[in-house]
Amino acid sequence: MAYQPVVIDPENPLGYYTGIYLAQTADERVKRKLGPDYKGGGAVTSILLYLVEHGVVDAVVVARRKKGLYGETIIAKTPEEILEATGPKWSIVPYTLGLREKLTSMDVGRVAFVGLPCQAQFLRQVKMFPLMESDFSKKIYLIISLFCMGTFAVESFLNYIKKSYHVSPDEIENISINGDELVVKHVRGEIRIPIRDALFHLQHGCLTCPDYTGLFADLSAGKALKPGFTLLITRTKLADKIVREASNTGYLKLSEPDEESLRIVIEKAREKIMRSYKYLSTVL
Amino acid sequence: MSKPAILIYDLGGCEGCPLSIMRVYPQLINIANVYTKCLGKVDLDREYDYAVVTGPICINSPEHVEELKKIRKNSRVLIAYGSCASVGGIILYARGGQEPRPEHRVYAPISRVVRVDYAIPGCPPAPQMLISLLNCIRRGKGYFLDLFRAVALNPKLSGFDLMDEVVLNGLCVGCGACVLSCPTNALQMIDNRPDLIPEKCIRCGTCTVRCPRFSQILIQRSRLLQKASSLSRISGV
Repeated sequence: MAYQPVVIDPENPLGYYTGIYLAQTADERVKRKLGPDYKGGGAVTSILLYLVEHGVVDAVVVARRKKGLYGETIIAKTPEEILEATGPKWSIVPYTLGLREKLTSMDVGRVAFVGLPCQAQFLRQVKMFPLMESDFSKKIYLIISLFCMGTFAVESFLNYIKKSYHVSPDEIENISINGDELVVKHVRGEIRIPIRDALFHLQHGCLTCPDYTGLFADLSAGKALKPGFTLLITRTKLADKIVREASNTGYLKLSEPDEESLRIVIEKAREKIMRSYKYLSTVL
Repeated sequence: MSKPAILIYDLGGCEGCPLSIMRVYPQLINIANVYTKCLGKVDLDREYDYAVVTGPICINSPEHVEELKKIRKNSRVLIAYGSCASVGGIILYARGGQEPRPEHRVYAPISRVVRVDYAIPGCPPAPQMLISLLNCIRRGKGYFLDLFRAVALNPKLSGFDLMDEVVLNGLCVGCGACVLSCPTNALQMIDNRPDLIPEKCIRCGTCTVRCPRFSQILIQRSRLLQKASSLSRISGV
C-alpha cells in the first residue's frame, strides 16, 4: 500500500500508523556506549546498525554532537560512526548545503535519515513531490523521526544558565531529563533546572509546530515512560518490516507497549497540536 | 473506469516546464488521455478533467488572457505548474524595455487572472512531480495537497517572503530545509540560520513550500480566507 496522506488532527494525534512497539536494544555495543545510567532504549541506533551491517542501506544521515549544545550532520557508513553519534543532541542540527553536495556526489544509493519532525516533513516532501531535478529523492530510503516537544534557542538558553547558575557554555558536559527537571552536568558538578523555567528558552518556531511524533516519517521513535525502553511507531509497511527484521536478527528486543506509555504519548502529541493552534493564531 | 482527460498548455517562458513534463509522457499516457501541442492535439473548446498550465500570463496580451479564461471554464481542476505560472518566478523581473527588449510589461502568475486549484512552484518541477500530484489529487486529502491549494491563493512567494515571514519573524527553527531546496544556492546557513543573497533569488518559491513553518502558515491563512469568503457569501457582501 502506498504512503498514507498526513492529516493533522487533534482527535487522532498519532496520525496513521501500522504498529506501535516498545523496544530495547539487544546489541552489546550500544549498551556499552550508552552506559548504565541512560534512560532511553537505544533502539534507533540498533536499527541503524542493522540497516548498515546487513547492507539494507548504504549510509545513514545522523546528527553528532560537536561541543556542548552544538552538533553537525554526518553521513555515516560504518557501525563505528553510527555509535559515535548515539545519544541526545539537545538542539536542532541543521541540514546544510554540504550535505546535498556530499549526497549527490557520493557513491551511495539508499540512505536512511534520522531527524526531527520538521526535517521529516521536508524529507517526505522531497521524496513525494520532487520540486527540483537536483533533489536527492531517489536516495531517501527510510525517514526516521525522533519525538520532539521543541528545541532550545541555544544562545538564549546558554545565557540563562550562565546568568542564573554561573555555568559557562564550555563547562557543560551533558544534559538529561529527570522527571520535571533538566539535569545539566558540568565540570564542577551538576545543576537542576525546573522544566517550566527552561520552556521560555524554546525556539518560537517550535511553539507553532503541531508535530510531536513525526507524522511524516516512516518510523517515529522516542523515549517511553518505562526507563530503558524506546517507543517505536511504524507508519509504513517498509518500516514495520525493518523493525521486525532488526528484532529477528538480534539487534532489538520488541514487546507490546504498555497502556501508560501510550496514553502519555497521545497526550503529549495532542498538547503540541493545541499549543501550535494557540501560537500560530498570533502570527497569522 | 475511463481515463481522465488532461490538457497540458504552455503560455510561454523558457520552456523548462514543458520539457520536464515531456519526460513523463510515457507514464502520463498510461493514467490519462493527454492533450497537448507536442502530441498534435489541442482543443480548448472541449472539457477536461485536469488542465496543467505552464508559463506566466502576459496581461498585455488579450489573446492569451482569453485563452486562459477559456481553459479555466472548460476544466474541472486547474493546475498552475512551475514557478512562473504559480508564484511569478524569475519572469516577475521583466518590466518591459530591458535587454533583450521584451514587448510587454506585466507578466503575472495565472492566479492573478483566473481561479487556480493547485499551484506547484519549482523551476522547473522535476518530471515525477506531475504523476505524484495527480495520484494525490485522486486520493483527495493530505497536508501537501492542502499546501499546494494554499499556494494557489498566493500570487507571490519567494526567498524574500521566507526571510520576512519566517526568519526575521523569529519563527525559523534552523532545520535547513530551505537551504537544501534552493536551486540557485541563494540561501546559506550562517550561524544556524538561513541568509538570503538577494541577487541570486529567482523567486521560484521552492524554499517557501519546503519550510515546515511557512507551509503551515500558508495552509492556516488559506483556511481563514476560505472561511471569510464563505461568510461574505452568506451575508451577501
